Amino acid sequence: MDIVFSAATVTYAGRVALHPLTLTLTERRIGVVGLNGSGKTTMARMINGLVKPTAGTVTVGGLDTVADEVAARGKTGFIFQNPQHQMILPILAEDIAFGLKNRKLGKAEIAEKTEAVLARFGISHLARRRVHELSGGETQLGAIASVLVTGPDLLILDEPTNQLDLKNRALIERTIAGLPEQVLVITHDLALIESFDRVLVFHEGRLAADSRPEEAIRTYREIATC
Amino acid sequence: MLNGLDIEGDSLLHRMPVRGKLIALFVAAIGLFLTAELRLLVPALVLSAALYLSTGIGAGEAFRRVRFVLFTVLLVAGANYLFHSLHEALAVFCRLSTLVLLAAAVTATTGISAFMDEITRLLTPLERFGFVRAADVSLAVGLVIRFVPEIFARYGEIADAHKARGLPVRPLTTLVPLIILTLKDADTIAMAIDARGFRRH
Repeated sequence: MDIVFSAATVTYAGRVALHPLTLTLTERRIGVVGLNGSGKTTMARMINGLVKPTAGTVTVGGLDTVADEVAARGKTGFIFQNPQHQMILPILAEDIAFGLKNRKLGKAEIAEKTEAVLARFGISHLARRRVHELSGGETQLGAIASVLVTGPDLLILDEPTNQLDLKNRALIERTIAGLPEQVLVITHDLALIESFDRVLVFHEGRLAADSRPEEAIRTYREIATC
Repeated sequence: MLNGLDIEGDSLLHRMPVRGKLIALFVAAIGLFLTAELRLLVPALVLSAALYLSTGIGAGEAFRRVRFVLFTVLLVAGANYLFHSLHEALAVFCRLSTLVLLAAAVTATTGISAFMDEITRLLTPLERFGFVRAADVSLAVGLVIRFVPEIFARYGEIADAHKARGLPVRPLTTLVPLIILTLKDADTIAMAIDARGFRRH
Protein backbone atom coordinates (compact mmCIF):
# COMPACT_ATOMS: atom_id res chain seq x y z
CA MET A 1 0.00 0.00 0.00
CA ASP A 2 1.31 3.45 -0.90
CA ILE A 3 1.71 5.95 1.93
CA VAL A 4 2.17 9.41 0.47
CA PHE A 5 3.16 12.55 2.38
CA SER A 6 2.81 15.73 0.31
CA ALA A 7 4.42 18.69 2.05
CA ALA A 8 2.73 17.43 5.24
CA THR A 9 3.47 19.74 8.15
CA VAL A 10 2.47 19.66 11.81
CA THR A 11 2.57 22.69 14.06
CA TYR A 12 1.62 22.74 17.75
CA ALA A 13 0.97 26.20 19.18
CA GLY A 14 3.44 27.85 16.84
CA ARG A 15 6.10 25.17 17.33
CA VAL A 16 6.85 23.03 14.29
CA ALA A 17 6.74 19.36 15.26
CA LEU A 18 7.20 18.17 11.70
CA HIS A 19 8.59 20.34 8.91
CA PRO A 20 7.08 19.90 5.40
CA LEU A 21 7.56 16.25 4.55
CA THR A 22 7.23 14.87 1.03
CA LEU A 23 7.70 11.15 0.83
CA THR A 24 6.22 8.00 -0.72
CA LEU A 25 6.48 4.72 1.18
CA THR A 26 5.70 1.48 -0.62
CA GLU A 27 8.06 -1.01 1.07
CA ARG A 28 6.83 -3.94 3.20
CA ARG A 29 9.16 -3.23 6.12
CA ILE A 30 9.82 0.38 7.09
CA GLY A 31 11.77 1.46 10.15
CA VAL A 32 11.64 4.92 11.71
CA VAL A 33 14.34 6.06 14.12
CA GLY A 34 15.32 9.31 15.77
CA LEU A 35 16.00 10.93 19.10
CA ASN A 36 13.15 11.66 21.49
CA GLY A 37 11.05 14.54 20.19
CA SER A 38 12.43 14.22 16.66
CA GLY A 39 8.99 13.99 15.04
CA LYS A 40 8.93 10.27 14.31
CA THR A 41 5.80 9.50 16.37
CA THR A 42 4.03 12.56 14.93
CA MET A 43 4.85 11.31 11.43
CA ALA A 44 3.58 7.81 12.22
CA ARG A 45 0.38 9.09 13.83
CA MET A 46 -0.36 11.10 10.71
CA ILE A 47 -0.59 7.88 8.73
CA ASN A 48 -3.77 6.77 10.48
CA GLY A 49 -5.13 10.25 11.00
CA LEU A 50 -4.52 10.45 14.76
CA VAL A 51 -2.53 13.59 14.03
CA LYS A 52 -3.84 15.85 11.26
CA PRO A 53 -1.44 17.82 9.06
CA THR A 54 -1.72 21.55 9.64
CA ALA A 55 -0.59 21.96 6.02
CA GLY A 56 -0.17 19.49 3.14
CA THR A 57 -1.77 16.05 2.87
CA VAL A 58 -1.21 12.43 3.78
CA THR A 59 -2.83 9.60 1.83
CA VAL A 60 -2.83 5.86 2.47
CA GLY A 61 -3.84 3.59 -0.39
CA GLY A 62 -5.12 6.70 -2.18
CA LEU A 63 -7.34 7.78 0.74
CA ASP A 64 -6.80 11.16 2.36
CA THR A 65 -6.39 10.85 6.14
CA VAL A 66 -8.50 13.97 6.69
CA ALA A 67 -11.15 13.86 3.95
CA ASP A 68 -11.53 10.05 4.08
CA GLU A 69 -10.56 9.68 7.73
CA VAL A 70 -12.62 6.61 8.63
CA ALA A 71 -11.81 4.65 5.47
CA ALA A 72 -8.12 5.57 5.72
CA ARG A 73 -8.02 4.53 9.37
CA GLY A 74 -9.55 1.19 8.46
CA LYS A 75 -6.47 0.47 6.35
CA THR A 76 -4.01 1.01 9.19
CA GLY A 77 -3.62 -0.56 12.61
CA PHE A 78 -1.67 1.18 15.36
CA ILE A 79 0.07 -0.34 18.38
CA PHE A 80 0.84 2.24 21.04
CA GLN A 81 3.95 2.43 23.22
CA ASN A 82 1.97 1.10 26.15
CA PRO A 83 -0.31 -1.57 24.66
CA GLN A 84 -2.14 -1.88 28.00
CA HIS A 85 -3.74 1.46 27.19
CA GLN A 86 -5.30 0.17 24.01
CA MET A 87 -6.84 -2.87 25.65
CA ILE A 88 -10.33 -1.54 26.26
CA LEU A 89 -11.84 -4.67 27.76
CA PRO A 90 -10.22 -6.70 30.55
CA ILE A 91 -10.44 -10.18 28.99
CA LEU A 92 -8.18 -10.72 25.97
CA ALA A 93 -10.76 -12.45 23.74
CA GLU A 94 -13.38 -9.81 24.57
CA ASP A 95 -10.93 -7.06 23.75
CA ILE A 96 -10.10 -8.64 20.40
CA ALA A 97 -13.84 -8.97 19.68
CA PHE A 98 -14.35 -5.28 20.58
CA GLY A 99 -12.90 -4.05 17.28
CA LEU A 100 -15.13 -6.46 15.35
CA LYS A 101 -18.27 -5.47 17.25
CA ASN A 102 -17.64 -1.89 16.21
CA ARG A 103 -17.84 -3.10 12.64
CA LYS A 104 -21.28 -4.56 13.33
CA LEU A 105 -20.35 -8.15 12.48
CA GLY A 106 -22.55 -11.06 13.55
CA LYS A 107 -21.82 -13.01 16.75
CA ALA A 108 -20.71 -16.17 14.95
CA GLU A 109 -18.37 -14.27 12.65
CA ILE A 110 -16.88 -12.35 15.58
CA ALA A 111 -16.21 -15.58 17.47
CA GLU A 112 -14.70 -17.23 14.41
CA LYS A 113 -12.40 -14.32 13.59
CA THR A 114 -11.35 -13.93 17.24
CA GLU A 115 -10.43 -17.62 17.51
CA ALA A 116 -8.58 -17.47 14.20
CA VAL A 117 -6.44 -14.50 15.16
CA LEU A 118 -5.64 -15.98 18.58
CA ALA A 119 -4.54 -19.18 16.85
CA ARG A 120 -2.53 -17.22 14.26
CA PHE A 121 -0.39 -15.70 17.01
CA GLY A 122 -0.27 -18.89 19.12
CA ILE A 123 -2.11 -17.31 22.03
CA SER A 124 -5.36 -19.31 22.04
CA HIS A 125 -4.54 -20.41 25.60
CA LEU A 126 -4.62 -16.76 26.72
CA ALA A 127 -8.14 -16.08 25.36
CA ARG A 128 -9.85 -15.90 28.77
CA ARG A 129 -6.93 -14.32 30.61
CA ARG A 130 -7.15 -10.82 32.02
CA VAL A 131 -5.02 -8.43 30.05
CA HIS A 132 -3.25 -7.07 33.12
CA GLU A 133 -2.06 -10.58 33.96
CA LEU A 134 -0.26 -11.02 30.65
CA SER A 135 3.52 -10.71 30.40
CA GLY A 136 5.02 -7.90 28.32
CA GLY A 137 5.43 -10.12 25.27
CA GLU A 138 1.97 -11.63 25.62
CA THR A 139 0.45 -8.14 25.93
CA GLN A 140 2.20 -7.07 22.73
CA LEU A 141 0.99 -10.17 20.91
CA GLY A 142 -2.54 -9.59 22.24
CA ALA A 143 -2.46 -5.97 21.10
CA ILE A 144 -1.18 -6.97 17.65
CA ALA A 145 -3.92 -9.61 17.41
CA SER A 146 -6.61 -7.13 18.49
CA VAL A 147 -5.55 -4.72 15.77
CA LEU A 148 -4.92 -7.20 12.95
CA VAL A 149 -8.22 -9.01 13.50
CA THR A 150 -9.96 -6.17 11.67
CA GLY A 151 -7.76 -6.73 8.61
CA PRO A 152 -5.74 -3.53 8.09
CA ASP A 153 -3.20 -3.50 5.23
CA LEU A 154 -0.58 -1.69 7.29
CA LEU A 155 0.49 -2.14 10.91
CA ILE A 156 2.27 0.69 12.72
CA LEU A 157 4.11 -0.22 15.93
CA ASP A 158 5.42 2.47 18.27
CA GLU A 159 8.47 1.12 20.12
CA PRO A 160 7.16 -2.45 20.31
CA THR A 161 10.20 -3.91 22.08
CA ASN A 162 10.49 -1.13 24.63
CA GLN A 163 10.64 -2.53 28.19
CA LEU A 164 10.69 -6.15 27.04
CA ASP A 165 13.22 -8.67 28.26
CA LEU A 166 15.47 -10.38 25.74
CA LYS A 167 13.21 -13.40 25.35
CA ASN A 168 10.08 -11.36 24.69
CA ARG A 169 12.03 -9.00 22.47
CA ALA A 170 13.05 -11.95 20.30
CA LEU A 171 9.44 -13.18 20.27
CA ILE A 172 8.14 -9.82 19.02
CA GLU A 173 10.96 -9.56 16.46
CA ARG A 174 10.04 -12.99 15.08
CA THR A 175 6.36 -12.08 15.05
CA ILE A 176 6.95 -8.84 13.16
CA ALA A 177 9.21 -10.61 10.69
CA GLY A 178 6.49 -13.15 9.97
CA LEU A 179 3.63 -10.72 9.39
CA PRO A 180 2.29 -10.73 5.83
CA GLU A 181 1.02 -7.15 6.32
CA GLN A 182 3.04 -4.05 5.52
CA VAL A 183 4.76 -2.89 8.72
CA LEU A 184 6.12 0.44 9.90
CA VAL A 185 8.06 0.36 13.18
CA ILE A 186 9.19 3.32 15.26
CA THR A 187 11.98 2.09 17.47
CA HIS A 188 15.22 2.65 19.36
CA ASP A 189 15.95 -1.07 18.98
CA LEU A 190 18.30 -0.93 16.00
CA ALA A 191 18.65 -4.72 15.75
CA LEU A 192 14.93 -4.92 15.02
CA ILE A 193 15.21 -2.91 11.80
CA GLU A 194 18.51 -4.25 10.48
CA SER A 195 16.77 -6.45 7.94
CA PHE A 196 14.10 -3.91 6.95
CA ASP A 197 13.64 -2.63 3.40
CA ARG A 198 13.88 1.04 4.24
CA VAL A 199 14.75 3.15 7.28
CA LEU A 200 13.87 6.79 7.88
CA VAL A 201 15.84 8.90 10.34
CA PHE A 202 14.16 11.94 11.85
CA HIS A 203 15.97 14.77 13.57
CA GLU A 204 14.48 17.98 14.95
CA GLY A 205 11.26 17.54 12.98
CA ARG A 206 12.98 16.86 9.66
CA LEU A 207 13.80 13.76 7.65
CA ALA A 208 17.56 13.48 8.11
CA ALA A 209 18.14 10.22 6.24
CA ASP A 210 16.14 7.83 4.11
CA SER A 211 17.94 4.75 2.91
CA ARG A 212 18.77 1.09 3.50
CA PRO A 213 19.15 0.19 7.20
CA GLU A 214 22.95 0.10 7.42
CA GLU A 215 23.42 3.62 6.10
CA ALA A 216 20.46 5.07 7.98
CA ILE A 217 21.57 3.53 11.26
CA ARG A 218 25.05 5.01 10.72
CA THR A 219 23.50 8.47 10.24
CA TYR A 220 21.39 7.98 13.36
CA ARG A 221 24.45 7.04 15.41
CA GLU A 222 26.25 10.17 14.17
CA ILE A 223 23.27 12.33 15.15
CA ALA A 224 23.04 10.66 18.55
CA THR A 225 26.72 11.22 19.35
CA CYS A 226 26.85 14.86 18.21
CA MET B 1 -5.60 -5.18 42.30
CA LEU B 2 -8.33 -6.44 40.05
CA ASN B 3 -8.61 -5.16 36.54
CA GLY B 4 -12.31 -4.82 35.96
CA LEU B 5 -14.68 -5.60 38.78
CA ASP B 6 -16.08 -8.96 37.76
CA ILE B 7 -14.69 -12.15 39.23
CA GLU B 8 -14.64 -15.48 37.45
CA GLY B 9 -17.00 -18.15 38.72
CA ASP B 10 -19.96 -20.37 38.04
CA SER B 11 -22.43 -19.26 40.70
CA LEU B 12 -26.16 -18.83 40.09
CA LEU B 13 -25.63 -15.11 39.52
CA HIS B 14 -22.81 -15.76 37.06
CA ARG B 15 -25.14 -17.93 34.99
CA MET B 16 -28.06 -15.51 35.06
CA PRO B 17 -28.48 -13.30 31.99
CA VAL B 18 -27.43 -9.67 32.50
CA ARG B 19 -30.89 -8.34 31.75
CA GLY B 20 -32.44 -10.66 34.35
CA LYS B 21 -29.97 -9.44 36.96
CA LEU B 22 -30.62 -5.78 36.20
CA ILE B 23 -34.41 -6.25 36.27
CA ALA B 24 -34.19 -8.21 39.54
CA LEU B 25 -32.05 -5.43 41.03
CA PHE B 26 -34.55 -2.82 39.87
CA VAL B 27 -37.51 -4.73 41.34
CA ALA B 28 -35.63 -5.34 44.61
CA ALA B 29 -34.87 -1.62 44.89
CA ILE B 30 -38.54 -0.71 44.54
CA GLY B 31 -39.60 -3.49 46.92
CA LEU B 32 -37.12 -2.38 49.58
CA PHE B 33 -38.51 1.13 49.57
CA LEU B 34 -42.11 -0.06 49.84
CA THR B 35 -41.62 -1.56 53.28
CA ALA B 36 -40.22 -0.38 56.61
CA GLU B 37 -40.90 -3.72 58.24
CA LEU B 38 -37.75 -4.99 59.98
CA ARG B 39 -39.07 -8.56 59.91
CA LEU B 40 -38.64 -8.35 56.13
CA LEU B 41 -35.67 -6.01 55.86
CA VAL B 42 -33.32 -7.88 58.21
CA PRO B 43 -33.74 -11.24 56.40
CA ALA B 44 -33.34 -9.34 53.10
CA LEU B 45 -30.01 -7.96 54.31
CA VAL B 46 -28.80 -11.39 55.44
CA LEU B 47 -29.93 -12.89 52.15
CA SER B 48 -28.18 -10.22 50.06
CA ALA B 49 -24.95 -10.71 52.04
CA ALA B 50 -25.20 -14.46 51.44
CA LEU B 51 -25.85 -13.87 47.74
CA TYR B 52 -22.88 -11.51 47.49
CA LEU B 53 -20.58 -14.02 49.17
CA SER B 54 -21.97 -16.86 47.03
CA THR B 55 -20.25 -15.24 44.04
CA GLY B 56 -16.97 -16.61 45.41
CA ILE B 57 -15.48 -13.18 45.97
CA GLY B 58 -14.02 -13.88 49.41
CA ALA B 59 -14.98 -11.98 52.56
CA GLY B 60 -11.98 -9.61 52.57
CA GLU B 61 -12.34 -8.42 49.00
CA ALA B 62 -16.15 -8.32 49.37
CA PHE B 63 -15.86 -5.95 52.33
CA ARG B 64 -13.11 -3.86 50.73
CA ARG B 65 -15.32 -3.10 47.75
CA VAL B 66 -18.35 -1.90 49.67
CA ARG B 67 -16.83 -0.42 52.82
CA PHE B 68 -16.93 3.21 51.66
CA VAL B 69 -20.55 3.01 50.58
CA LEU B 70 -21.52 1.15 53.74
CA PHE B 71 -19.81 3.84 55.79
CA THR B 72 -22.00 6.44 54.06
CA VAL B 73 -25.07 4.28 54.72
CA LEU B 74 -24.07 4.17 58.38
CA LEU B 75 -23.88 7.97 58.46
CA VAL B 76 -27.35 8.24 56.92
CA ALA B 77 -28.69 5.71 59.43
CA GLY B 78 -27.05 7.66 62.26
CA ALA B 79 -28.76 10.85 61.13
CA ASN B 80 -32.08 9.00 61.06
CA TYR B 81 -31.51 7.77 64.61
CA LEU B 82 -30.84 11.33 65.79
CA PHE B 83 -33.76 12.95 64.01
CA HIS B 84 -36.31 10.11 63.84
CA SER B 85 -36.14 6.85 65.73
CA LEU B 86 -34.07 3.71 66.17
CA HIS B 87 -36.57 1.76 64.12
CA GLU B 88 -36.28 4.20 61.22
CA ALA B 89 -32.48 4.13 61.46
CA LEU B 90 -32.41 0.31 61.35
CA ALA B 91 -34.85 0.25 58.42
CA VAL B 92 -32.73 2.73 56.45
CA PHE B 93 -29.55 0.82 57.25
CA CYS B 94 -31.01 -2.55 56.21
CA ARG B 95 -32.67 -1.15 53.09
CA LEU B 96 -29.66 0.70 51.69
CA SER B 97 -27.12 -1.94 52.71
CA THR B 98 -29.19 -4.64 51.03
CA LEU B 99 -29.27 -2.60 47.86
CA VAL B 100 -25.51 -1.96 47.96
CA LEU B 101 -24.77 -5.67 48.46
CA LEU B 102 -27.12 -6.72 45.67
CA ALA B 103 -25.60 -4.18 43.27
CA ALA B 104 -22.10 -5.32 44.27
CA ALA B 105 -23.14 -8.92 43.60
CA VAL B 106 -24.37 -7.99 40.11
CA THR B 107 -21.14 -6.09 39.39
CA ALA B 108 -19.01 -8.97 40.63
CA THR B 109 -20.73 -11.49 38.38
CA THR B 110 -21.10 -9.51 35.17
CA GLY B 111 -18.28 -9.01 32.68
CA ILE B 112 -17.77 -5.53 31.26
CA SER B 113 -18.42 -6.74 27.73
CA ALA B 114 -21.79 -8.23 28.76
CA PHE B 115 -22.69 -5.00 30.59
CA MET B 116 -21.82 -2.95 27.52
CA ASP B 117 -23.83 -5.19 25.19
CA GLU B 118 -26.87 -4.95 27.44
CA ILE B 119 -26.65 -1.18 27.82
CA THR B 120 -26.35 -0.83 24.05
CA ARG B 121 -29.43 -3.02 23.57
CA LEU B 122 -31.44 -1.11 26.18
CA LEU B 123 -30.54 2.32 24.81
CA THR B 124 -30.75 1.57 21.09
CA PRO B 125 -34.49 2.44 20.90
CA LEU B 126 -33.66 5.93 22.26
CA GLU B 127 -31.29 6.54 19.34
CA ARG B 128 -34.34 7.06 17.11
CA PHE B 129 -35.22 10.18 19.09
CA GLY B 130 -31.67 11.47 18.83
CA PHE B 131 -31.19 11.50 22.64
CA VAL B 132 -28.13 9.32 22.82
CA ARG B 133 -25.73 7.19 20.85
CA ALA B 134 -26.10 3.83 22.59
CA ALA B 135 -22.59 2.61 21.76
CA ASP B 136 -21.06 5.79 23.22
CA VAL B 137 -22.92 5.37 26.52
CA SER B 138 -22.04 1.70 26.83
CA LEU B 139 -18.39 2.44 26.04
CA ALA B 140 -18.36 5.18 28.70
CA VAL B 141 -19.78 2.78 31.30
CA GLY B 142 -17.36 0.07 30.21
CA LEU B 143 -14.38 2.40 30.44
CA VAL B 144 -15.32 3.51 33.95
CA ILE B 145 -15.56 -0.08 35.17
CA ARG B 146 -12.39 -1.05 33.32
CA PHE B 147 -10.18 1.83 34.42
CA VAL B 148 -11.34 2.66 37.96
CA PRO B 149 -9.20 -0.14 39.43
CA GLU B 150 -6.30 1.11 37.31
CA ILE B 151 -6.63 4.57 38.84
CA PHE B 152 -6.51 2.98 42.30
CA ALA B 153 -3.38 1.10 41.24
CA ARG B 154 -1.86 4.35 40.02
CA TYR B 155 -2.65 5.95 43.39
CA GLY B 156 -0.84 3.06 45.08
CA GLU B 157 2.22 3.65 42.88
CA ILE B 158 2.28 7.37 43.69
CA ALA B 159 1.92 6.63 47.40
CA ASP B 160 4.77 4.09 47.17
CA ALA B 161 6.92 6.64 45.35
CA HIS B 162 6.32 9.06 48.23
CA LYS B 163 7.33 6.45 50.78
CA ALA B 164 10.42 5.48 48.78
CA ARG B 165 11.54 9.11 48.87
CA GLY B 166 10.79 9.38 52.56
CA LEU B 167 7.92 11.81 51.98
CA PRO B 168 4.66 11.75 53.89
CA VAL B 169 1.67 10.66 51.78
CA ARG B 170 -0.48 13.80 51.77
CA PRO B 171 -3.73 14.19 49.78
CA LEU B 172 -2.51 17.27 47.90
CA THR B 173 0.82 15.82 46.81
CA THR B 174 -0.75 12.53 45.74
CA LEU B 175 -3.96 13.79 44.14
CA VAL B 176 -2.33 16.37 41.87
CA PRO B 177 0.01 13.90 40.13
CA LEU B 178 -2.81 11.34 40.12
CA ILE B 179 -5.15 13.71 38.29
CA ILE B 180 -2.45 14.77 35.81
CA LEU B 181 -1.40 11.19 35.08
CA THR B 182 -5.02 10.07 34.78
CA LEU B 183 -5.77 12.83 32.29
CA LYS B 184 -2.66 11.90 30.29
CA ASP B 185 -3.72 8.26 30.31
CA ALA B 186 -7.22 9.31 29.26
CA ASP B 187 -5.75 11.09 26.24
CA THR B 188 -3.85 8.00 25.17
CA ILE B 189 -6.86 5.78 25.75
CA ALA B 190 -9.09 8.12 23.72
CA MET B 191 -6.53 8.01 20.93
CA ALA B 192 -6.40 4.22 21.13
CA ILE B 193 -10.18 4.05 20.87
CA ASP B 194 -10.02 6.22 17.77
CA ALA B 195 -7.19 4.13 16.35
CA ARG B 196 -9.27 1.00 16.80
CA GLY B 197 -12.00 2.53 14.69
CA PHE B 198 -14.66 2.93 17.38
CA ARG B 199 -16.30 5.86 15.61
CA ARG B 200 -17.10 4.76 12.10
CA HIS B 201 -19.32 7.55 10.92
